[in-house]
Amino acid sequence: MTSPPHLAATDDPPGGAAAPPAGDAAVAAPSQRQTQKEATRNKVIDAARELFDTQGYQGTTIREIARHAGVSVGSVFTTFASKGEILSQVMADRLDGLYAELDRVMPHLRGATIDRLRTMFAIHFAFEVRHTRLFLSHIAAAYDWTLSAGATPMGKNRRLQSIIRECLEKGVAEGDVCPDADAQEVIDLLMAAYAWTYRLAAWNDADAPAMTAVMDRQIGLIAAGFQPRH
Amino acid sequence: MMHALKIQPAEETAVRAPTRRALAKQQTRAKVLAAARRLFSEQGYEGATIRDIAAAAGMSTGAVFANFTDKSDLFREIMLTDMVALADAMREAASHGASAEDALLKIFTAGYRFYQTQLPLARAAFSVGWSPQDGPALRGSPPVQTLVDLFAEQLARGVKSGELAQDPDAALRTQMLFDAYLANYDQAIFQGWTLDALQARSRDQIRILLAGVRRA
Repeated sequence: MTSPPHLAATDDPPGGAAAPPAGDAAVAAPSQRQTQKEATRNKVIDAARELFDTQGYQGTTIREIARHAGVSVGSVFTTFASKGEILSQVMADRLDGLYAELDRVMPHLRGATIDRLRTMFAIHFAFEVRHTRLFLSHIAAAYDWTLSAGATPMGKNRRLQSIIRECLEKGVAEGDVCPDADAQEVIDLLMAAYAWTYRLAAWNDADAPAMTAVMDRQIGLIAAGFQPRH
Repeated sequence: MMHALKIQPAEETAVRAPTRRALAKQQTRAKVLAAARRLFSEQGYEGATIRDIAAAAGMSTGAVFANFTDKSDLFREIMLTDMVALADAMREAASHGASAEDALLKIFTAGYRFYQTQLPLARAAFSVGWSPQDGPALRGSPPVQTLVDLFAEQLARGVKSGELAQDPDAALRTQMLFDAYLANYDQAIFQGWTLDALQARSRDQIRILLAGVRRA
């Protein structure tokens, strides 16, 4: 599936646009029906992102999404099985851009592991700050019974986990991460701290620098548990 | 269900010589709460409607609304009642801790044991707790603060006994311990971790989170 073009205009992090994967563009002359379906899909995603952002996930109905997108409820369901699946797609489309940015930046980061982790999370907050309610909705949806199999709730996405893991492995190689530290435990603590920090933003109106400052302290606290003792 | 029974005596002693009407009202509330607890466990927070809950309790939706303002009010009541009992269980567990670190582990474990038989309800609670609408009211409620305070008390105890150094980050550390405690429910809910596995994980997490203040 091609990333919808609107992402480039609204959601890319400063300083680098994530180009949609080139492979999909090779599909020549899609049928009219396909084009129409893609257009419907994009309209639904756009409408859903806006509504989830302003009203939250629970406060938004499929009917409203359809009306906002200017399509019928039926045509929403020809593309998505459930509200949870729409949310997953909204998040996945956004995260594609974020991960492209991280893939570009991470290999060039220098400094101690603690600093690389801080930079990596700061990039996350700068990227997501305008959509903190949406992010919380994404977490909330992971616990929703009505979630269909096609949905990918927060936490099931392994990408962030593997980025942290690489960061820690590099630290072990460079000697500022204790080889005995259990990477998965450190990852889970960092993920919990990361998710908690969004609550701060959505409920206390914290901005990206404020979120980053809190996350920096939490990373420092966790780092005391994985740094070698002198 | 188990601690619906546990809770009831406390509720009843609080009411002095209830009138017949007050008693009837209390019974109605108890019936609604029991039905709601069951439906939230079976269908989640989003899936359970007031209409279903009323039907399961054998009453009209009007009768439900006479006792609770809305679904989130109903759910909050269930959770908060549980949390009062949970806080008692945690405090009791902590009192057997050999050290602050051990007391924290006992608190974590008491929580997982408490919810072991009703993970579906815990799952519904996370769905509400993370929602931008209802999350703040649930997370910011006094019973949740009581739980957080219990974590903080163990850190203070450790400082007092000399086990832990004075901690300028005590509030943050408390919050992180509490969040680690909550985050582990994912493993219990979605991956079926046993109490032993949760305990082993918690022990490591507490060790990591205390590393910066632990005296050698």
